[in-house]
Amino acid sequence: MFKGMPKIFWIGMAIMYGWCFLFMFLEMTIPGLPLKRFLGVPACYIYNWIIGLFLINVLVSFIFYRSEEKREELKAQTKAKV
Amino acid sequence: MGVNPIVILGSVLYFAVIFWIGWSSRKASLNASDYYVAGRKVGAFVNGSALAATYFSPASFLGLPAFIFILGYPFWWALVGIIGGMPIATLLTAAPLRKYAPTSFTDYYADRYDTKWMRLVAGIPTLIGGLAYVILSIVGTALFLLAILKLNFTFSVILASVVIFLYIYYGGMVATTFSTAFQGIAMTVASVLAAGYVIAHYGGLNGLTDATLSISPNFFNLPYVSAAPSHAIMASWTGVVGFFFVWHFGFSAMPYTVVRFFTTQDIKSARRSVFWAVIIGGLMYCGLIIIGTGARVLVEQLHPLMQTEGIANAMDVFKHMQTAYGVAGASVTDYSMIAAMEALNSPFLLSVVAAGGLAIAMATAAGWTMVLNILLGRDLMGKVFGSTLPEEKPVMVTRVMTTVVLVLCMLLSFNPPALVLDISGAAFVVILCSVGPPLILGIWWARATTAAAFINIIVMTILSTGSWMYANRVLKSAHWFFLSDPANKISTPHQVYWVFVGFIFFIIISLMTKPNSEEVIKKYSLDIRPDL
Repeated sequence: MFKGMPKIFWIGMAIMYGWCFLFMFLEMTIPGLPLKRFLGVPACYIYNWIIGLFLINVLVSFIFYRSEEKREELKAQTKAKV
Repeated sequence: MGVNPIVILGSVLYFAVIFWIGWSSRKASLNASDYYVAGRKVGAFVNGSALAATYFSPASFLGLPAFIFILGYPFWWALVGIIGGMPIATLLTAAPLRKYAPTSFTDYYADRYDTKWMRLVAGIPTLIGGLAYVILSIVGTALFLLAILKLNFTFSVILASVVIFLYIYYGGMVATTFSTAFQGIAMTVASVLAAGYVIAHYGGLNGLTDATLSISPNFFNLPYVSAAPSHAIMASWTGVVGFFFVWHFGFSAMPYTVVRFFTTQDIKSARRSVFWAVIIGGLMYCGLIIIGTGARVLVEQLHPLMQTEGIANAMDVFKHMQTAYGVAGASVTDYSMIAAMEALNSPFLLSVVAAGGLAIAMATAAGWTMVLNILLGRDLMGKVFGSTLPEEKPVMVTRVMTTVVLVLCMLLSFNPPALVLDISGAAFVVILCSVGPPLILGIWWARATTAAAFINIIVMTILSTGSWMYANRVLKSAHWFFLSDPANKISTPHQVYWVFVGFIFFIIISLMTKPNSEEVIKKYSLDIRPDL
């Protein structure tokens, strides 16, 4: 199952799920975490709104397409040399 | 509250741009390939924007702020789950399906599972989900037309259906891809601008948070950290995690987004289009979180109707809208997003938001109607029942199907069965647990079998639909586990566990049944994976 899936897929999944479930777990264990101040605003705007919702996903989708393009370029160069 | 000429002007400008795009691309949709898959010549950014506009619907634009309004901060995780599911599609389905390059959603099922009857079986949950989505899109368009023109809801539904009908009838996939790309930008600009207005009004995020807490003290409460949860459904972590997963895998496997992977120029564009869709959709969702968080406090502090005698809170405002404009069924709470914008008393903002709302509703209706009319015309009439008409006159057949689908959905939209986001959640779970496993595991698991695909689709469609309807009827909410003791209910939003059960069930049945031929597995599973 999933034979041939590029390794970067599993790395991306680990980053995205790791971030989300780490902060869900922290919310379970630290009372009032969303409203604790971080960088001058309630922490939930940083770890959930800005990073969890937007930045992490832009990063993961970028590394997914970029790493595949790099891999294909390398493969094409290797083929051309042969 | 009367009709505002600036709001009408914004909507007229939006329709003018859509009409111009449709007119400019009219010659491009004269043959079947252009009509169905836009001739496979759409670039990454355009396709990414169209992907975002198609995937996100009034369920997002109206429904998510309404659910944050009702359920509080814990529901933010549902939005994180939706956007978090998008990058997964890049390698899981977008690249393999573009490499395989089918025309319709059911092509893959018929080819991978080696029988034309898979088109019919895979078509059943697709039809259920598709009709639900066209209904919620008509309701969404109608609510925005009501906000713009202050028309009665019933008349707004008829007008919305006519607008969507004309848009798809003369467009096909070419017009809908380019105009949908514009709609993707319009909805994101509207959402981000509205969020900017909300933050500016309260003088920053701290001011917004304080104002929200002054009206809803439990808004930011999570399960286990407070005696009073933000809402009964969010009183346990099954509710929070459940909502995270309801829409999470949709971008990888829902028919109306999967077909947009077919329209790209090549695999590279398919992968890049997901990146652009994440940026456009992610920005829109950042805006929706702010709007949903501020909706109650904005309505209760600033909405003009709060001055009316007998109106004491936000729910009274919505009840007034229900009475004054005949908004039917449960959908009146979906008006909370529009009410929050009305509260800010900026005709310019309301005009941009109304244009964005019309954009997102029309884009989704168009995307789903295209899926349904290709399913009913080309796939079922033509490929399953042998009619030559869809091949000879594809545009005519597709237009007839468009008419049938939209008339049926318009009749069902007069009295919406639930909030738009509830209709969306039900459609997602039914489709993801039934046709999701045969699609994803069909690509990535050589052992996936035809018998498992048949059994999984039929069994999971019945179980997920039945349990959702049972919970909604008996327990008064589809978000409780359907077999719960009414005195001690367990939160399982939209019976989301069926998505995971579906994958396990599909694997077990596949291992118990005869594998497909080596030729089929090679062509439709091994060969469409990346060349490592």
